[in-house]
Amino acid sequence: MKTKFINGVLGIVIALMLGAIVMWIQGYAPFETYTALFNYSLGSFYSFTTMLRNSVPLILTGLSASVAFASGPVNLGQPGQFLMGALLATIGGLYLDLPPILMIPILILLAMLGGALWSGLAGLMRLWFKMDEFITTLMLNMIADFFTYWAISYPLFDKEAYSPMTPAINPNGWLPEFGNFNTNIIVMILAFIAVWFISKKTVAGYEWRIAGQNSLFARLGGCEIDKNYLKVMLLTGALAGLAGGLVVMAGPHRFLKGLGANYAWDGVMIAMVANNGILATLLYGLFFSILQTGALGMELITDVPREFIMVIQAVIVLVVVAGRGYFNILMDKIAVRRKAKEGLE
Amino acid sequence: MDNNDKPVLIDMQHVVKVFPPDVVALNDVSVDFRQGEIHAIVGENGAGKSTLMKILYAMENMNAGEIFYNAKPVHFQSTGDAIANGIGMVHQEILLIPEYSIWENVVLGLEPTRGFGKLDEKKAIADVLEKIDEFGFHLDPLALVKDISVAAQQKVEILKLLYRNVSVLIMDEPTAVLTPQEIPQLFDELRRLRDNGHTILFISHHLDEVLDLSDRITVLQKGKMIGTVTSKSTSKKELARMMVGREVIFSSIRKPCQHGDTVFEARNICYRDEDKVERLKDINFTVSSGEIVGIAGVEGNGQFELVNTIMGLITPQSGSIFVQGKDITEEPILERRKLLSYVSQDRKTMGSSASAPISENMIMTHHKLEKRFQKWNGLVLNFHEVTKFAEEIRKRFSVNMGAPGAPFQSLSGGNQQKVILGRELSLSSPFVLLDQPTRGLDVGSIEYVHEQILGMRDQQRAILMLSSDLDELFRIADRLLVLYRGKIVADLITGKTTINEIGYLMLEGTIHEN
Repeated sequence: MKTKFINGVLGIVIALMLGAIVMWIQGYAPFETYTALFNYSLGSFYSFTTMLRNSVPLILTGLSASVAFASGPVNLGQPGQFLMGALLATIGGLYLDLPPILMIPILILLAMLGGALWSGLAGLMRLWFKMDEFITTLMLNMIADFFTYWAISYPLFDKEAYSPMTPAINPNGWLPEFGNFNTNIIVMILAFIAVWFISKKTVAGYEWRIAGQNSLFARLGGCEIDKNYLKVMLLTGALAGLAGGLVVMAGPHRFLKGLGANYAWDGVMIAMVANNGILATLLYGLFFSILQTGALGMELITDVPREFIMVIQAVIVLVVVAGRGYFNILMDKIAVRRKAKEGLE
Repeated sequence: MDNNDKPVLIDMQHVVKVFPPDVVALNDVSVDFRQGEIHAIVGENGAGKSTLMKILYAMENMNAGEIFYNAKPVHFQSTGDAIANGIGMVHQEILLIPEYSIWENVVLGLEPTRGFGKLDEKKAIADVLEKIDEFGFHLDPLALVKDISVAAQQKVEILKLLYRNVSVLIMDEPTAVLTPQEIPQLFDELRRLRDNGHTILFISHHLDEVLDLSDRITVLQKGKMIGTVTSKSTSKKELARMMVGREVIFSSIRKPCQHGDTVFEARNICYRDEDKVERLKDINFTVSSGEIVGIAGVEGNGQFELVNTIMGLITPQSGSIFVQGKDITEEPILERRKLLSYVSQDRKTMGSSASAPISENMIMTHHKLEKRFQKWNGLVLNFHEVTKFAEEIRKRFSVNMGAPGAPFQSLSGGNQQKVILGRELSLSSPFVLLDQPTRGLDVGSIEYVHEQILGMRDQQRAILMLSSDLDELFRIADRLLVLYRGKIVADLITGKTTINEIGYLMLEGTIHEN
């Protein structure tokens, strides 16, 4: 636990330093750039709450990927599950009219249902036809992409709009805001607690973790591998779908073209950096949101383009992931050297 | 011929090898090999024989020590480097391309070429044929490797090294893949190579073979060098003592068994694999409560399929399996686990999750079958009970371990096996299936495991044990079955048979007529 933390912090520091070198070579001022970056993501209540709101889809898709990867299934369908969740929440928001206390939970459930349907489809294809979810989830991403595009261009199209989008959903389904503090963060934290509890404390979570590490051992031990597989697919799909629903309910309050942005792939990346750890996913999700939110300010204050953040993200992934592998090798080497000396005596 | 006159060719000094994190595979081993001798390296499983040879061949690096070759210190960077210097290794398993002909396999990587890097096929075949004739190998260079026998494939492996002008041949258990009839032929060839000036280093744990073939013998025990002796001046008994550090207890430690009702029954089991090869042929046997039934056999004679059939990883085409009268042939694994404990032959791939905590490795299966590990209607794990259980197992099976939350891989091999045994034997199942329960363990741990198994028998459990170690079977089994080519060819009372008889049955499938 402690070494993991050191490894992560060290990785981020090294990555930021490498980023500074790249900026310096290109003739930018690294210190000012980083000051602007962190000012615009942490410097004030406004920027801080904006950063929190932006972190929600990153963390939820990240959790989706983390739980899936740690349990075995290679669910790479977060982009599609995200869009289907957003679509179902939007449809609910357009056609239902209930008081917020009912409306909001129902839309949230619809979002989760949308994502779970999409991942469940891939899960069933695996169980029934032995099709690898690694492929099917990727394929279903495409279908979801074009299907939602069609849905917002034709049946759900806002007649007054100039580009593909739906009308705004019923305001009763909007997530309440206090100042700039959006309650989507509360939903995310509840989801995080639930995921953490399921993974660490329940019988199912125990079996998923073990099966993710050694499936044959779990199977011989009497765990029902197929059932667990489907459960993991449904849960992780629901998480990605929830991310999509919350983006609609907290932000534009409608489904517009390009809604998914890069959230889901960033989530997969976060899961990788976090080595599929639940808490690590939350922390890295927050950090990536700091970078992405601050990037806007960085672009405003300095000449460094916003895209530069992608460089830093990529370097973090490389340094942390490669560093983790190397760190373990290093520890092994040290242990071996010590033992070899003992052995000689 | 007196070997002491031959010059020292390779001298390995103070070799230390540690596998991460703290498994000492070789502990200050010093040994020399002389020019033109056949030198056997013997020891039990895990003694460090293969590791020592792999270090010489530069497949593994050493953590300390020196190697002198022709009296000069050497440090080979790669196996290619070792081969270029005349040291080659033939691995236990055949590493050839089946679809290629013999000559193609031999020249692969070192092909004679004409202009523009074009393969000179004629020269290649001629070169290979020349080597075949030189060493009298009786091989057709044009034959495909997949069409020739395993013994011939092994010759191709040797030929491959001779083609590269290797003068030191390391052979890792070369007889393991051969039939008894093929072994003398291999030995003749190896002797001829030695007489031509080659040096042969030969790993084995068959003492008869070693005494028959080698000039000198080096014994390793648990990573330590015990000594080097000349074959002429030693005996099987002495070698055995050197290998295990004391007189081998060939005597049985069984008490007469009082077995009760039939618990396990296999009835007419036939299994054909995906390639339509018959792996199990009409298997019939029973195991009663309070009885240990051992299954002997050369590996690959149906043991794997039999275990998988019992565990439910494969379904036989016909026949049934009963435990306490319940037909479990088609039951899911969870249903089977209610009736049977299972210690798999491979701790890593089947018996544990290396990175999961020790405690979570201990409660596997228990978490499904015992209410005390569950709360909230079976949804949530009761971690209080999990920790308590870990303590129970630690005490009962004297596991030397850190906190129950430490990863399983932090345990030594013997303690890992204790955890697995602890988990399986504390299930309240009437039937216990043990597949090579002592593989890779040191002598002390083996004794411990045997005591535990006998303890289970006293609790009137029915125990089925597969083992490739005949001594082990004779030591604790009440009855012995021999698997030969997927068939049970013998069902004998341990006290009324001999190791030789079982050995013969394993190799030939019948008892000698004469």
